Amino acid sequence: MFSTVVSGYGFWNLFSWLTFFICIAALVLWFRSQGRKDYKEDSPQDEIFYGGNPVPRDGADITVPASSAYWGFKKALRGFYVLLDSWHSGVATDYVAWLVFTVAIFALLLAF
Amino acid sequence: MSWTNHLPALVVAVPLFGAFGAPLVSKAGRIPRNVWFILIAVLTALFSLLLWQHVNATGTAVYVMGGSAWNLPLPSGMQLPVRILLEVDSFGALMALIGSICTLAGALFSLQFMEKFTGLDKYVALYLLLTAGMQGMVLTGDLFNLFVFIEIASVASFGLVAFWRDRPEAVEAGFKYMLISTVGVMFILFAIAFLYGRYNVVNMGAIGANLQYGLPEKVALIFLVVALAMKCGSVPMHMWTPDAYAEAPAAVTCLLVAVSQASLYALFRVCFSIYGMSLGSSAVAWAIIVLGCLSMFIGVTMAVIQKEIKRLMAYHSVSQVGYMLLGLGVGLLALGNPQEMSDYGMTAIKGGLFHLLNYTMYKPLLFLCAGALFYAAKSRNLNDLGGLAKKMPYTTVLFVLAAAAIAGLPPFNGYVSKLLIYESSFAVHPILPVVAMVTSMLTLASFVKVFQTAFLGPEKEVFSSVREVPQSMLLGMGLLALVILGLTFFPSWSLDHFITPAAEALVDKASYVGAVLGGGF
Amino acid sequence: MIGNLPYVIVGLLFVYGLFAVIFERNLVKIAVGVSVVEAAANLMLIVYGYRSGGNIPVFTLGGEGGSFVLPTPQALTLTAIVISLATSALMLSMIMVLYRHYGTLDVREIRRLRG
Repeated sequence: MFSTVVSGYGFWNLFSWLTFFICIAALVLWFRSQGRKDYKEDSPQDEIFYGGNPVPRDGADITVPASSAYWGFKKALRGFYVLLDSWHSGVATDYVAWLVFTVAIFALLLAF
Repeated sequence: MSWTNHLPALVVAVPLFGAFGAPLVSKAGRIPRNVWFILIAVLTALFSLLLWQHVNATGTAVYVMGGSAWNLPLPSGMQLPVRILLEVDSFGALMALIGSICTLAGALFSLQFMEKFTGLDKYVALYLLLTAGMQGMVLTGDLFNLFVFIEIASVASFGLVAFWRDRPEAVEAGFKYMLISTVGVMFILFAIAFLYGRYNVVNMGAIGANLQYGLPEKVALIFLVVALAMKCGSVPMHMWTPDAYAEAPAAVTCLLVAVSQASLYALFRVCFSIYGMSLGSSAVAWAIIVLGCLSMFIGVTMAVIQKEIKRLMAYHSVSQVGYMLLGLGVGLLALGNPQEMSDYGMTAIKGGLFHLLNYTMYKPLLFLCAGALFYAAKSRNLNDLGGLAKKMPYTTVLFVLAAAAIAGLPPFNGYVSKLLIYESSFAVHPILPVVAMVTSMLTLASFVKVFQTAFLGPEKEVFSSVREVPQSMLLGMGLLALVILGLTFFPSWSLDHFITPAAEALVDKASYVGAVLGGGF
Repeated sequence: MIGNLPYVIVGLLFVYGLFAVIFERNLVKIAVGVSVVEAAANLMLIVYGYRSGGNIPVFTLGGEGGSFVLPTPQALTLTAIVISLATSALMLSMIMVLYRHYGTLDVREIRRLRG
């Protein structure tokens, strides 16, 4: 049942991937266990650093909101996103205009 | 004549009967309605499984609605397929099976998810009508029947998208979907009129047998390809997809995904079985490949920046459809050339079809997880969610499974189908797998964002009373997860038994035509 | 050339309906444009079924001999008319609910879902 899928230039065998994964995972876990002997869980060593201020109890005050994830990516590609936002205007008739535009492009392609 | 000959009609008739019986049964109360819903969904799944086995055992099944033989000679002695025919080959049977699994998962999910709302008898009726339309789309043998079933599925889905009609955004999304869908389907009707005017038959096999690739056929091809690509959600006609998928109830989105795949089935039936070799290495194949690449890239770059969880997943839907268009466009490119076909064409088609199967399993699971989050935390905005992993452990595990599958992480099934697509598109031009891989990385990036903001992180006080979702919702999600795990652990078995018969049935125009015209081709 | 006139007229009707859908602002006018597009598609089916000098395709009433126009596209058109009736009804009722929610019928104002 664990036979190989052969694609054009390569192959995929689940059994060999799992074997590889288990070996590497064992190695990684062994490395991780070589830690300091003086670490205790749930002691003041575990507290997050909040700039020296007391940590708020409600998690809602310390979460990073989803809108700020990938802000650098969006800023770097700002020109591209301004263009895309102008296409996704939200006006219903623009959607139909894009459909007719695609038909026109296909007609041009097939006529030549 | 054994009863298995009636299976194609049963797969369409059972949900149709269930849809019309649902308002009657709902008069008897809540429990009979739920029992009826699950019974019809289970029966549809059972019949489509039996149909798939029957077609794989005995070849393409042709069924005439009306009972008598489908190859009655006309008074002039000529034999033409003139009745309404259902023609089921391996590809169609596979699509029916996939669609019925999605129906069953969504039905189980919506038992508890929709409990607080009224009008549920109409919900059940519309849901089963959407199932009937979808199954009719993939089992039919002629073009006008395809148009009728596309309209049945579309009108049912307009009602379901706008189901929460007290929400203005839901009605807006339903209206936008309705506008573009109606115009697109009128393009399809125009194309059917052109083809009918040339050949005086609407049967797909008969048109494919007599096709001469002239100007009206080109116009009909353009209209059909663009309108069906719009129904799947490929760029640049994809803008209804985020609106409609986000505002529909989660179980409905689960089924809308399967319906868009049925439109993809119709697109490839038109390209491969009606037009066939005349499209090999032509502009249409390259145009489909370009549409696929655009869909992949634009879909995922719009998805990364979204704030609402279902809108993000709907943009991913657009990009995953791009993968399938790429795989099958490469296969279409190689169609006329047997050397290229054996080099990379069949791998591309198998990759595209396997990706279709995988996508229709992990994408509904993602939408159902988003629905579970909405049910528990009452919000779809990622800025509001956070720290739900400890409270909803089963949903977290199922979400990780589906997100790893969509991102193409080994060992899951998404990786295998993407590997086939990368390798076969590399043989056409190196830029194609580059676009595909960048898309894959950005997909992983956006799902890491969703996982971190919705499940990980510190627990919020506003969610202190959140509990795991009810059992029936977990059962629906678990069904899809079971199929994903099956495809993960047995990839080559699934390829050999599900995908290879479907791929061979798709490229084999002669057998599709011969099943209807009886060897006179 | 004069024989192609019905096809040209149907094509013009289709384009006219598409113009109404794409460039109009009022939702009801857009729905009317969709109805014109549907009418053009139905008319195209009928026009393709015409055979010159043909009688109505009823065997007992059309007179003996001669040719009949094709009956199949007439059946297809009836189905398509019923379908477009259903979609027009649904579209108009959705426009009504949209007006109740948004207070306007301008399609450029109804864009809370964008981006």
